[in-house]
Amino acid sequence: MHVFTIAGRELRALFVSPVAYVVLTLWSVIAGTFFLASLIGFQERMLQLQQFQMFEEIEATNLNDQLIEPFIGSMWVILLFLLPAVTMGLVSSEKANGTEELLLTSPISIWDIVLGKWLAGAGFVGLMTAIVAFFPALLFVYGEPEVGKTLSGVVCLLMVSITYVAVGVFASSVTRSQLIAFVLTLVLLVMLGMMLPFIVDITLAGSGVGRDSAVAQVVGWMATGSHVDRMLQGLVDTGDLAYFAIASAVFLLLSKTVIESARWR
Amino acid sequence: MSEANEPAIRVAGLAKRYGDFEAVRGLDFEVTAGEVVGFLGPNGAGKTTTMRMLTGFLPATDGEASIAGHDIFDDATAARRAIGYLPETPPLYPEMTPASYVAFVAKIKEVPRAERAAAVDRALERCGLDDVRDREIRQLSKGYRQRVGLAQAIVHEPAVLVLDEPTVGLDPIQIREIRTLIRDLAASGKQTVLLSTHILAEVEAICQRVILLDRGRKVLDQPIAEITADGGSLEEVFTRVLTRDDAGEAA
Repeated sequence: MHVFTIAGRELRALFVSPVAYVVLTLWSVIAGTFFLASLIGFQERMLQLQQFQMFEEIEATNLNDQLIEPFIGSMWVILLFLLPAVTMGLVSSEKANGTEELLLTSPISIWDIVLGKWLAGAGFVGLMTAIVAFFPALLFVYGEPEVGKTLSGVVCLLMVSITYVAVGVFASSVTRSQLIAFVLTLVLLVMLGMMLPFIVDITLAGSGVGRDSAVAQVVGWMATGSHVDRMLQGLVDTGDLAYFAIASAVFLLLSKTVIESARWR
Repeated sequence: MSEANEPAIRVAGLAKRYGDFEAVRGLDFEVTAGEVVGFLGPNGAGKTTTMRMLTGFLPATDGEASIAGHDIFDDATAARRAIGYLPETPPLYPEMTPASYVAFVAKIKEVPRAERAAAVDRALERCGLDDVRDREIRQLSKGYRQRVGLAQAIVHEPAVLVLDEPTVGLDPIQIREIRTLIRDLAASGKQTVLLSTHILAEVEAICQRVILLDRGRKVLDQPIAEITADGGSLEEVFTRVLTRDDAGEAA
């Protein structure tokens, strides 16, 4: 029950902070711009196809593959850079305010703190996802996107966001400085989200170890990319869902350990 | 629930080591229910460390302690429920109001839902915060923030109140106000208070008994009435004990 007390306080604190509004404004503006750009691109493509009378291509073109999927895919990349601003203060501000001492001397558990923070962050990214979902929803008024595929894309964004919040909680718990928490979250997210596959390629290049090797596959699995790609295409696989659950659990467990370790020193 | 004859605070052989440095070395003392005890000592004597161990913020390296009969390690949650703690810097959320903040603390200190609103109102009223209850904490003066810290510590009506240098950094008028507040809290005769300070006058003004710490050891444990009965002042005793200890250490 204390989880919700912690989460509620944190969520309210998030919404009185200017950072939240800067992030939400940027997020909305970027989403709007991207959506408009994708929409114009889609329209031009359709016109071209019609001009050249390429009916097979027109038949194969649809709102989901050519518009919604790339749109949500690019918002996921934006998320990597904006989310750290949301999560940077989650635990670090407790240390800076001295309120860590209040929480740790209260009859609540460290899980209450960690999960409460995570839940508050999840609530915030829920709103961010809703903003993104608004745009594809518009398409239902004028066209006929596939419900399942669209929904799977939105759910995918939500799950990625929530997983990344767990990363943010962890980064925020290792320091009392919001700036350090921000940078650390950014580094971790860029690693998880973008760099891991490249790092594997570069490290394996010329080593004689193939890309099919166990190491390459494990690291590839750790990267968010492949899981996101499949889900954006509308393929909801338990393996991918498990990835989000496991990644969240790992980072939350790490956060709990870090907060607890304040008591070992 | 605690036994009637169980002391409010019982500390036996409590020790805290940071690597080679011994912050607290084998501390023993007891505080009976309703007593107001001053925890005195120069900076670095181990006052804050001891309080942090009692409140469960820091684990002890050795020894044991109990709050209102609850062991702070084996029965940590119950011990924490029985304690109200004002750390050296009041643990405040600047964006909250005193009313919402104290209500939040009441929740995490497990004040039953039905009694919560009344408990919050009572704590705010006792600490003289009625006029500012809906102002943002960040806008409040240092004295008022200290009061919010106190309100937070008493909202769940803990058996034991632990106050770490509650008047540090305040102006003389604020100091007097906070002292009056603490005395009022203690006036019921039921509230146990452990208060740390290095201001002698504060101990004389508020406490019934003084425990003097120096370099992690207890060097004096005496009722104030006894000290002043010999015609001595607290300051004399304080200086004498501390210098004797210096000599002992050098020998």
